[in-house]
Amino acid sequence: MGYTISAPPHIKSGISFRSINTAKILALIPVSLASVYFFGIPALAIILAAVLAAVITEFGIQKIFKQDVTIKDGHAALIGLMFALLTPPEAPIWIPVVGAFLAISIGKHAFGGIGSYIFNPVLVAWVFARSSWGNHMTPLSIPNLGQLSDLLLENGAGLLVDVSPVLILIGGVYLVYKKYVEWRVPLVFAVTVFFFNQTIAFFSAVFSLVQEGVLNPLMYLATIFTFLQVTDELSYVMIGVVFFGILFLATDSPTSPVTKNGRLIYGFACGLLVSIYGYFGNYVDGTLYGIFLANAIAAYLETKTLPSMYGHESLLERSYRRVVKRIPSSLKFEVVTDE
Amino acid sequence: MESKRLKKIPEQVVIPLKQHRGTVCKSLVKKGDQVLIGQKIGESVSYNSSDVHSSVCGEVVAIEDAPNPDGNKVLSVIIKTTDSQETVAFVPKQNPSSEELIAIMRDAGIVEHYGAPTHTVIRPEGKKIDLVLINATASEWIGGKYATPREYATQMLDALKLLIKASGAAKGAIILRKDDKESIEAFEGVQVNGKTLKVAPLLGTRRLGHYFKDQGSNIIVASQERIYGKNILSFFTHNVTGRKVPVGCNPTDVGVAVCGVKSAKALYDAVHEGKPYYETVITLEGDVDCPNFMLVRIGTPFRDIIEECNFNGEIGKIVANGVITGVAQYTDEVPVTKGTTRITLLTKEQVLRDESLACIHCARCVDACPVSLLPTRLAVLANQGRFDECRQMHIQFCIECGRCSFACPSKIHILQLIRYAKSAIENAYEDAIPKESSNLKVGCCGGE
Repeated sequence: MGYTISAPPHIKSGISFRSINTAKILALIPVSLASVYFFGIPALAIILAAVLAAVITEFGIQKIFKQDVTIKDGHAALIGLMFALLTPPEAPIWIPVVGAFLAISIGKHAFGGIGSYIFNPVLVAWVFARSSWGNHMTPLSIPNLGQLSDLLLENGAGLLVDVSPVLILIGGVYLVYKKYVEWRVPLVFAVTVFFFNQTIAFFSAVFSLVQEGVLNPLMYLATIFTFLQVTDELSYVMIGVVFFGILFLATDSPTSPVTKNGRLIYGFACGLLVSIYGYFGNYVDGTLYGIFLANAIAAYLETKTLPSMYGHESLLERSYRRVVKRIPSSLKFEVVTDE
Repeated sequence: MESKRLKKIPEQVVIPLKQHRGTVCKSLVKKGDQVLIGQKIGESVSYNSSDVHSSVCGEVVAIEDAPNPDGNKVLSVIIKTTDSQETVAFVPKQNPSSEELIAIMRDAGIVEHYGAPTHTVIRPEGKKIDLVLINATASEWIGGKYATPREYATQMLDALKLLIKASGAAKGAIILRKDDKESIEAFEGVQVNGKTLKVAPLLGTRRLGHYFKDQGSNIIVASQERIYGKNILSFFTHNVTGRKVPVGCNPTDVGVAVCGVKSAKALYDAVHEGKPYYETVITLEGDVDCPNFMLVRIGTPFRDIIEECNFNGEIGKIVANGVITGVAQYTDEVPVTKGTTRITLLTKEQVLRDESLACIHCARCVDACPVSLLPTRLAVLANQGRFDECRQMHIQFCIECGRCSFACPSKIHILQLIRYAKSAIENAYEDAIPKESSNLKVGCCGGE
């Protein structure tokens, strides 16, 4: 009687590429349903056309090049669905078809398939379609958060994804909670986008005081409180497409760095680029172009943040120790670590 | 916790003459000899070696190469058993001195579960030990040999005192696992040197040094988070004491001796009962109908243990020493050795048949790695044979815990690729550091 022999480990976690994609698709189902409810049949047609086109394209490419057909892992369907959500509902039906075809053929397979592409395929297709058929791809309205009910159902939605920020948030947070998506990139991204506006408000308050010629230092000190006031610009940030960018586009694993510090910096870079675009332009185009540009520096960030030798002090630890050394021992409360 | 002794005496036992890392013992018996329980059948010929004893009564039928759980074949004494339970006379030792304790360890064949003979850990040549640790994190407490938790605690503390005496160290500590409530309760409130023990949790930057001062005692008990992988000694030492073990060195280089529960118990028995190390406690995992812990004689073939336990279904895979880093066996005739801690049985359905896909850069392996490496890159570089680049990325720091392979959603054999690269580097450079755990060699897997 024979026994199987193999190298360890002999058990592996149940998670697979397929289950990750399935979870992401499931997380996007609520917002897709909401868009169908809001926009009606055209939205449904766009979603179905994009998903079908993406799957058929992947099947065709892998058949032609005699590769293993991988449509079962759900990645093609996910790309199609994500592209459909970034399309305005008025777009003619051939836009999602061409977009999904471009995403799969140029965005994914031309660069070498899963794990090898450098730009998020969805964004590649979106940037292409946006610059080629601007009249079809420009949303009719740019949403902004007027009242709280807009969070649940946005009346000014221009793209399918804009209909409901809350449903996207729920889906995305579920993914992070279940660890299908790593928390570093979305968290830093969101924090950066939020504080960018607050920082601008803070500096403009200081500048206006300087221009008025105020000399009272307390007045300057009081401007710190502008950080706590929610600025008007934030209402342009709380829209579906920004949440979608934070939770679904930026967290696409092949286009973000693998190192821990790299992911933090990447999240910051995404936030900064999106905010600059969004603050001076609009947050719909800003999110998508911003993340697209951030993808370009992901590989650079990864090679620049390779972890040092295990047990070596990082720059932060070194400087901390230098500061602690200067403190006289009578003031120290720290625990003695070793004799 | 329930445990039992394997009742059935196996028809034939296979006792390897090398159950430790080091040189093979010289056989003291020859074919046709009669042996008794506890009789010495293999004598150590060098410092890096430990004696081997018979675990049964019977007749030596052969001395030949036989399968070993580490995957290779090892010169073994094969004994056909008889029903007799006659033992050699066991002589307990009263108040042994430090030198005598070292001699007892060698004579009783006490070996750490990770392979090193205990006397080389406690009294390493040319090094000074000042701290003795008993790692009780992986071995569940009672281990099948104790009636009550309190007995376990007091015996462990006595064993620790013996180890401290043998090593000439000043201090000693027992490390428990935080989620192992039974053990923690067992140790809580025991009197040591007139002081009441309190189990100290290792939190934040608080290491053993802090608690030695805090409790004003030279023997303490501490608890820490679970660390997977029994071979991770350097990592364990750093975690517990804060002392950094340089790559290529072992904890004894920084004055720390790490012992296991089993060897501590074996030393206790050897001193107080005069019994050599011929029985060990193993865990059986899988869909089996028997207690968690079993006291078996060293040399019992796996087959006899499996038969005793009524495995439900057809066995697909037999794994020695844990499913994450253990070795899959090609035959069920391999014997239990001093290094065997558990046997895992998997059914045909449970055997993994995944296909490796492309890496999706999800960074799960990076998050899982306890020594902050980039397993994903190392795997790619190793796969392409770019070993020098692996070396630049500190591949030698890998402790081979297997967590990266476990976490990988693309089911890439990361651990295997890293081991392959490490072996290649070891062969290519003279100054390269030997691997911390080594049961795989390039070019000879599972054979001779």
